[in-house]
Amino acid sequence: MDGANLPVQLSVSDFVALTNQTLEFAYPTISVVGEVAEFRVSQGKWVSFKLKDDGAVVNCFMTTFALRQPIENGMKLLVVAAPRLNPKGYFNLNVRTLRPVGEGSIKKGFELVKAKLEAEGLFSDERKRPLPRVPASVAVITSTESAAYADFCKIINERWGGLQVKVAHTQVQGDPAADQIIRAVEYFNSLEELPEVLIVIRGGGSAEDLMTFNDERLARTLSRSRIPTLVGVGHEIDHTLADMVADKRAATPTNAAEILVPDKQEIIRTVRAHIQGVGYHMTQAIDAQRVRIRENLLAAVRRMDEQVAVTRERLTMLRQAVIRLHPDRVLEMGYAIVRGDVKPGGMIEVETITQVINAEVRDARQK
Amino acid sequence: MPDKNKQTVQGKLADLSELVAWFQGPDFSLEEALEKFTQAEALAETIEDDLTKLKNDIQVVKQRFDTKE
Repeated sequence: MDGANLPVQLSVSDFVALTNQTLEFAYPTISVVGEVAEFRVSQGKWVSFKLKDDGAVVNCFMTTFALRQPIENGMKLLVVAAPRLNPKGYFNLNVRTLRPVGEGSIKKGFELVKAKLEAEGLFSDERKRPLPRVPASVAVITSTESAAYADFCKIINERWGGLQVKVAHTQVQGDPAADQIIRAVEYFNSLEELPEVLIVIRGGGSAEDLMTFNDERLARTLSRSRIPTLVGVGHEIDHTLADMVADKRAATPTNAAEILVPDKQEIIRTVRAHIQGVGYHMTQAIDAQRVRIRENLLAAVRRMDEQVAVTRERLTMLRQAVIRLHPDRVLEMGYAIVRGDVKPGGMIEVETITQVINAEVRDARQK
Repeated sequence: MPDKNKQTVQGKLADLSELVAWFQGPDFSLEEALEKFTQAEALAETIEDDLTKLKNDIQVVKQRFDTKE
């Protein structure tokens, strides 16, 4: 064979390096969908599994750090990976991110993380902190381009005023969304003056759209938040891990706004009712006082009447006594009044009821 | 009681609740009631005014979250 026509001769190492260069150039990253088999974690650091379909199988490799959620054999995954030939001759997909695809696998992935977090008590009622009844400053994490955000703003503006709202704009679906929301949660938690409530909202979507909110790291970050959390994601029927770890779950973004602030019209009605109640209370107190005063007056008048009656009775008795002692009354009883010089030879006047008699005293002596 | 003009609506609501509680409490006396009632009425008016006029201050933070710092 002519030496010039021979193919390039490479060492094995060079061949592997050349293959990897070619792969990196042609497929810097690829997305592959398949079913997980032979899932294994080594030394707590390395994750390996096979991704297969009916016609082929490929080895996958990743770090546990990059593994964002528990997976099991049989789950259907979409992996984003770089294809590589390793020095030992094995062809691998070096996985950067993965996520379950298909309803069954998404549900399975959700149940696995849910069971894990539940076992750690992250959903327990004891962990739930109350939200302030009327917060003065809050933080919101959402996509500011979403209808959910517009609805949220509309409702809080209708219901309340004077609220300081800081908003972090993040993606709310897709691979980068969970990390962006995590950064936003950490950002608000690092502020010197913490907002009183941290709200995470997103409108409705498919199970895949809402997967961001089932991210284990996001759920853990929310559970560690120093600021009480209120999460309103999707519709009434959607339950995400972010909802479950939150201090308060709202069924929808609109419901989150309703939970966050009271209705000012309702407060105005309550304030008016308070004033009416206080006015009524005062009127009642005045009426009660009036009754008491009237009763006291009547009692005083009764006491005075009694006193007058007693005095009048005594007066009558005295008058009768005086009448009984009148000299005429004595004369009527047959007695006589003697006036004059009562000694022998003296002249005296004797008055009876009917007569006045002048007489001379013949004898007078001591009894 | 703090200066009403500088207080938040929440503070004013708390003050009003305190005044209302006084009317229902053991310290109630008719001698003081009229003054307290006048205070409560003025406070209620301020609260209603605040709630009607106050606007929320909504600001999107400049911080970006799409990349690690």
